[in-house]
Order: sequence, then C-alpha cells, then structure tokens
Amino acid sequence: MIKKTGLLMGLLFLGNSFAASAAMSVVVNKKNTAEIDEKVVQRIFLGKEKKFSNGDIAVPINLATNNVGRGVFDEQILGRSSSQVSAYWSKLVFTGKGVPPKEVENEADVLAAVEADINAIGYIDSTSVTAAVKVVISK
Amino acid sequence: MIKLNKNLSVIAVAVLATFQAQADIRINGFANLTGGITSSEDSLYDYDDNIGFASQSLFAIQVSGDINDKMTATGQLVARGSNDYSADFEWAYITYQTSDNTSVSAGRLRMPLFKYSASLDVGYSYHWVVAPQSVYGVPFNNIDGVRFDYSGYTGDLEYSFQFTTGNIDSEFTLAGASAALVIDNVVAITGDFAYKNWKFRGVYATGKVNFDIPDLEPAFTQLSQLSASLSDKLQASDDSGIFYGGSIEYDVFDWFVAAEYTGVEISDSFYPDEVNYYVTAGIRTGKWTPFITYEKSDLNNGPKFLSEISGFPAAFQPGVTQLVVAIQQPAVAEDNTISVGVRYDLDTNVALKADIVKRTNDINDKEDSLLRFAVNYVF
Repeated sequence: MIKKTGLLMGLLFLGNSFAASAAMSVVVNKKNTAEIDEKVVQRIFLGKEKKFSNGDIAVPINLATNNVGRGVFDEQILGRSSSQVSAYWSKLVFTGKGVPPKEVENEADVLAAVEADINAIGYIDSTSVTAAVKVVISK
Repeated sequence: MIKLNKNLSVIAVAVLATFQAQADIRINGFANLTGGITSSEDSLYDYDDNIGFASQSLFAIQVSGDINDKMTATGQLVARGSNDYSADFEWAYITYQTSDNTSVSAGRLRMPLFKYSASLDVGYSYHWVVAPQSVYGVPFNNIDGVRFDYSGYTGDLEYSFQFTTGNIDSEFTLAGASAALVIDNVVAITGDFAYKNWKFRGVYATGKVNFDIPDLEPAFTQLSQLSASLSDKLQASDDSGIFYGGSIEYDVFDWFVAAEYTGVEISDSFYPDEVNYYVTAGIRTGKWTPFITYEKSDLNNGPKFLSEISGFPAAFQPGVTQLVVAIQQPAVAEDNTISVGVRYDLDTNVALKADIVKRTNDINDKEDSLLRFAVNYVF
C-alpha cells in the first residue's frame, strides 16, 4: 500500500507543471449583451446561476484540468483549488442538483465554442484573445 | 423489506430503460476504499485488530438522464462492504424542474437531515475519512417519498429550503442484535443559508416511529402481563418522534471550522432522548488538509418512566423497575470520539486520507483506538 502510494505521488509530481499565474481573460460571444462581473462568472461556473442578466441561458466552457489556465481560473475567480472545485461538484452531481461545466481540451476549443455560441462563456490566457470574442473580465 | 427492494429495482430498471432512448445520459461514480486496524483487542465501527476493508468501503455508480428539458431520472447503485458488496439501488428518483429555483423529486431519496447528507457516501466531497458517526450513523438516511426544493439568493445571501415527506423502512443493529425501523408520515423541513464565508443550516423532522426489536420481545411480553399501559408506553409503535439539528461553518478556504448538532426524541417509547454533535477544523495548505474532529454522542439521560412505577403495589415495584430499566438499557450509550487526520488531493478526482480515531465510552471509560486510511475516487 505504502509503496503504491509513493509511486502514485511520484507520478503526480512528474505530471504537474506549475506556471506563474498568467493574466487571464473571461470571454463571451460578441453578440452577448449581458452585464457580467466576477460574481456572475463565479455563480455561473459553480452552477448557481443558469442564465445571464439578459435572461439568456449561460453555457460555461471549462478547460480540462491538465491546462494551467484551469488552475489559474479556479484559484483567481472561484477562489479555491481545482480539487476543492471538484469536491464541490461531486456534492452536486451525486444529488442530481447539477452538472459541471462542459470541459474542452485547450484554449483554441474555448475560442471556437465562444465564437460559435451566443450562450457560451469561457476563459483563456489574455495573450490568446482574438477579435472574434468579447472580453468581459481581465485579470 | 425484500419486497420493497424488488419494487424499487423495478422502478430503477424502468428509470434505466428510459435512459436508453435518450442521447444525454450521464454516468458518474464514486468509490471509497477504507481500510482500518484497531489497537489490539479493540473494536470500532466493525474494525478489529486485523486489517479490514469491508466495514466502511463502498463502490457506487450513478446514472442520470434527461427525460426532457425539465425532467431528469437518477438511479444510484451502491455496493457496500458492510453488505458483502452486494449492490442495491439506494436512490432512484425523478426530478422535475418546475422553475429556475424550484424542483420536485419523487422516488427513493436521501433524507436531507444533515449538512453532508446529500454527499454522505461520496468521501471525495469532504475532508474526513468517514463522516462523524456520532452524528451521521443513523438508520434513517433514505426515504421513499417526495422532496420539494427551493433555492435563491439576494446579494451575498444564498438560501435553499427543502420540504420532504414520505416513509422510511430500514434495518439496523441495536446492541449487536438486528432490528427494524419503520417511520411513517415523515415530514422534514430544512433551511440552508450561505453568507460570504459563513454557512448555517437548520432541520426539523417528525414521523410516526415503529421499532421492531425481536430481542426485546420477551421483556415486553413480561411487562405487559404486569402493566399493559406501561408496556405500551415503552414500545415504539406508531409513536411520534422528532429529529432536529443545526450546523454552522466558517470557511475561508485556507482553513475552516464547522460544527453540527442533532437530537432525536421519541418520548413515548423506550428510546432515550439522544443528543449528538461534532466540531471539526482543518487547514488547507496546497494539496494537504490536516484536520481534527471532536464528537460526542449522548443517549444516557437516565431511564424514563421510573416515576410511573410508584403507582404499583410495593411488592411489584422491584420487578417492574427491573423490566423497565432492562428494556431501555440496550439503547443507552454515551461516548466521545476524537480523530486527527489528513487529506491529500492526489488529483482533481482522487484523494488519499488517513486518520487516527480514539473513542471513549463515557459510561465504562473503555477506550477504542483505530487507524484508518482511504482512497476516495469520483468520476
């Protein structure tokens, strides 16, 4: 047991890359007219709010956990580690009270999803922002 | 009980069948592998001084699917080590989202009695190795019925209310002997509030309680020959019971402290008035969460109904007293538990945990110590 645990821990440290927290932008579709502040983003990504201020359904797009940006977003906007966010969702999922945000592989997928869907909201490194999306928060 | 389970399985299969026609089916699961070993000769939570896994390990699969954009069906299949890993549908219900902040669920559901009721079996969702048994170890965690949920927020205050009604049918162990518990006409009201770093919760529930305890039958028969009315009072047969509780939590993410308090009263029965609570605190430092928990469980508030014995002829009093006390004795207990442990977040879906538990029986001062370790997994 102890040996196995040691091995798993070793793998974990190999698999983890820590980057200095980069500037991050929360982005929505260009046509999205809703008022969005940090609280709203927090509520949407924690499943507490299902709609934007203008009444449109909100579709949060998460980066998969192997992206550095995911950890930055969880820490800076949601105010907790990715593990804590995951523990939070496990409470909701197993009570049928919520479904965690859809996860995509990388920032290009976030941009594509936000460009294509007026309801989508995601986050990317500020250096990856293009003219095809609207930045609502920059941190 | 068996019949009920079969019926439930039929519902569950029907629920699953409706999934097959649907595209959007979600399959989630969780597992707690919890091993433990006590100090020599000790015994705690069915662990003994040989390493064991069965007592508090479980594996579960949850399938949920959207019947339409307002209705969701959920089935949860749980295999518990304490039940020889035979899988049972512990939950099977359909939820109807009546509006943005209200929903109705019907079927077999978790009773919303405690702060962690909903995710009680999902070890990954909390810091403990296992939720404090002094408070959470009750035989009435699931209900067949209907639950209404309402949630909302104003500014920084988030609130939710739940109204649950139905019946509970469960089996449990009292002083080592198996027994059955049926609670009819259950009504439970809960309120949850979150304000910034604070969380508050309150619950009040009532029901008609029936205990069926074969081991006590001979004593009840004897007592009823002496006094039918006293025997009737001591029996828990369609007697009103109440459950109440509250919890408070302060969590600033780097550290947290929480406490929960619950009580049970079935005044017109042999069952003692029961009070349980725990206080827990922990520090989150990177992937590590060291924590400490103190628990107290008190079902030791003196035998009830002794004052009624004075009405008996003096010659009968010693015999009646003996019976009245003997019937109440199996449920009497008082203990405190202290545990120190750590959670390590191995990944966003795996946590490793270990703790050391020491429970002291406050009646005879016997101590039992346990070392536990666990792997909690969700997918």
